[in-house]
Amino acid sequence: MKRRILGALAALALAAPVAAAELPVVRERFDNGLTVLVRSNPAAPVVAVSLMVRMGTRWESAADDGLSNFVQAVMVTGTTKRNGGEIAEAITGLGGKLSANGDTDYSEIRGTALARFWRELLGLTAEVALEPALLPDQVDAQRDFLLARVQKRRDNPPTHAFDVFFAKLYGIHPYGLATLGTPESLARIDQAAIAAWYRKFYRPERMVLAMSGQVPTADVMAEAKRLFGGLPVTDGTVDDTPLAPPRPAGDRTVIEQTAQQTQILVGSLAPRVADRDYAAVKLLSTVLGGGLAGRLFVELRDKQALAYTVSAFFDPMRGPGSFLVYMGTAPENAGRAEAALRREIERIRAEPVNAAELRRAKAYLLGTFAMDRRTNARQAWYLAFFETVGVGYDFPSRYRVAVEAATADDLMRVARTYLHPLTTVILGPPPR
Amino acid sequence: MRVTFRPLLVAALLPLACAGVARGEDAGLPRPERTELGNGVVLIVQEQRASDVVALQLWMRVGGRDEAPDELGLSHYLEHMLFKGTPTRPPGSIDRMVEGVGGQDNAFTSYDFTHFDLLLPADQAAAGIALLADIAVNASFDQAELDRERLVVLDEMRLTEDDPDRFLARRISEEAYRPTPYGRPILGTPELIKALTREQLARYYHKHYVPKNMSLVVVGAVDPGMVRKAAAGAFGRLRGPDSPRVSMPPQPDPGHRSVDLPRPEKQAYLGLAFKAPAVADADVAATDLLTYILGDSPSSRLNVVVRDRLALVSSIEAGYVTRQHGGLVSVTARLESENLDRGEAAILAEIHRLQQDGVSETERQRAIITAEANYAFDIETAEGLARDYGEAETNWTLANELQYLARLRQTTAAQIRAAARTYFGDYARVRFVPDAGAR
Repeated sequence: MKRRILGALAALALAAPVAAAELPVVRERFDNGLTVLVRSNPAAPVVAVSLMVRMGTRWESAADDGLSNFVQAVMVTGTTKRNGGEIAEAITGLGGKLSANGDTDYSEIRGTALARFWRELLGLTAEVALEPALLPDQVDAQRDFLLARVQKRRDNPPTHAFDVFFAKLYGIHPYGLATLGTPESLARIDQAAIAAWYRKFYRPERMVLAMSGQVPTADVMAEAKRLFGGLPVTDGTVDDTPLAPPRPAGDRTVIEQTAQQTQILVGSLAPRVADRDYAAVKLLSTVLGGGLAGRLFVELRDKQALAYTVSAFFDPMRGPGSFLVYMGTAPENAGRAEAALRREIERIRAEPVNAAELRRAKAYLLGTFAMDRRTNARQAWYLAFFETVGVGYDFPSRYRVAVEAATADDLMRVARTYLHPLTTVILGPPPR
Repeated sequence: MRVTFRPLLVAALLPLACAGVARGEDAGLPRPERTELGNGVVLIVQEQRASDVVALQLWMRVGGRDEAPDELGLSHYLEHMLFKGTPTRPPGSIDRMVEGVGGQDNAFTSYDFTHFDLLLPADQAAAGIALLADIAVNASFDQAELDRERLVVLDEMRLTEDDPDRFLARRISEEAYRPTPYGRPILGTPELIKALTREQLARYYHKHYVPKNMSLVVVGAVDPGMVRKAAAGAFGRLRGPDSPRVSMPPQPDPGHRSVDLPRPEKQAYLGLAFKAPAVADADVAATDLLTYILGDSPSSRLNVVVRDRLALVSSIEAGYVTRQHGGLVSVTARLESENLDRGEAAILAEIHRLQQDGVSETERQRAIITAEANYAFDIETAEGLARDYGEAETNWTLANELQYLARLRQTTAAQIRAAARTYFGDYARVRFVPDAGAR
């Protein structure tokens, strides 16, 4: 079955308040199940590619935490044709970069190059994805680098605080695992485990390839077909059945770590990207923490000067998402700052957002989203990501309609539905 | 985030442009139009219809280096205060106006310049120009706002110190440039910020925020004629005296300066800084390519040898900062503390090899392609291109900028080796050493 869809048709029907980001996208699903998306963008002489696989911590457990990311890290260090140094030289010669990592719902190989080298970039991406060497000595070398990165994340107060927060919020649900893994799990993962995990997940029906840039669409599609279209459909399956939902109890965790600032994170579970409430919760997050005119910035930074950094996070997830407000503050202000943060969450559950605030939040949310999708690297990522998490590459046009339609009542309803119980993490220096 | 000084050692640092000669033809882009208003304000406009937005940036010829010893941090403090309001724009209203149309505002401070950026839907260009002209001369400095911002700046100092990469970049630059103004803290000191008065800030603002120090850069889906008219209306009537910059002392020789700092991280950090050519120097192109070859990518020499082959570091990179009065090439690495000495020796051995044997033609070509690509990715967005133009106009010249890629292409392997021999001599060193008693 082949399907071709011109994405532009849907996008053009809507009045765009900010950026005309919706250039035509051509989508094709090969017979083996692999999906390809190509977006031709004349803006600058560059190209970006993203190859996503449905493989990530969502399929891992504490015992093999970090396995997906480990596989990705080893893949870019050598193929059956080239060693790591030769791959690095090849990509530098294209004026580009190539890297790979594992995430929660997906793992990605991503690359960039000068547009005139799009064919070479696509070829290199295919070589790394389909013919990785996965050599034992590279597994050992990458383990050392990964252990150093885990240490760096723990040493850095904000990243450590975020990792603890997600572990507390999600409990035994695998969304609570660190994508980099732990020293214990990384020590346990060997070459055999890496090779087996690769074989299990790198199947055409689990893969989405997206390319955006100053490229000829039909030629890119033909080259993608030559490189990926013959990939055989193999036996074996991955268990994708939905997991039992997490049930956070609303704990408050305090961790002592030497630092100049105290980190404060407060949040709750939130809808999946495909849920009806997704757009309203994005708006909620924008009213609170979006931009310099968001409530947290105005109240906590501008009016009370309690923080330099204060923001809200709500990222799209295939499974249950997380809503999180975050600030870094002086240790002596931590008590007041946490109380002020909680007051803002209480307020948005109790009082409707006024019309001007809602209007600003909508414009800001859609404006920043459109602006973020102007580079080819971001476009390739978004195209592949929305396809991979099951909402389709053309999700942005439907999302825009949902954001524009949301009312103050919707925001209060989702605030009351989702913003409890609150999980809290405080990480900072011990009291003097 | 509003704030920051330029991300030293991380970004490409030298904006690599060459619109007219080499790249303009490649990409079919129009050249920027540069005009000077009667009062000395420079206007740079380029129509770019990649998306329906416009980048508007006010670049000021004032930064950390213009501060007297008791004024440290004032340039950066102004960066925080200008979007706060004017007599006709009450506190908070600027952010609400910008974000209410789906736009963004931001500002940056460096030693040589400060800039204020707007990114707006293209039909808001005239309103954005009027806004920038207003904050350029009419900032209110509301006392309550100013007092609250003090705490925010103090928090920013703590934030920088908690991030080892940023803190190393800052410390190594301070060490290498000491005692010239480039070696002073761009955020100021806690003592000075706590004591800062409204009068002091206003005096500094009125002295430096004069028409001759201003450049307005506009890139986006706009008609250049409309922009010229709006700019003439908003900026053309500004008046103010000249504010010549104080002369800078010569760049110091960083030789053998060395600092070890105890830090809470479990891994150590090593930073080396070599004195390098300033932005207008003829050797900039060769030094730029040299830095790419040494440590800019996974295929660079330091990565291939010190990280991958010898496994002495977890990460390593080289960067080149070009200031108006003196540059630095730095090498920074994250590593286990027992490898500090061997890691440093390995870096020096690679540098020595470059000085002895020079670079291959393949390496030279790859470095030029990397430079070309950095530029091509910069110009994907209106604000990226505007930033390149703004920095060039403020720190260098726009004409030099437009010819730069052509200059890089003409740089020979012999010139690159000569740069290695000239500049890789004595160096300043900063090391972060894990503090066993920290937790």
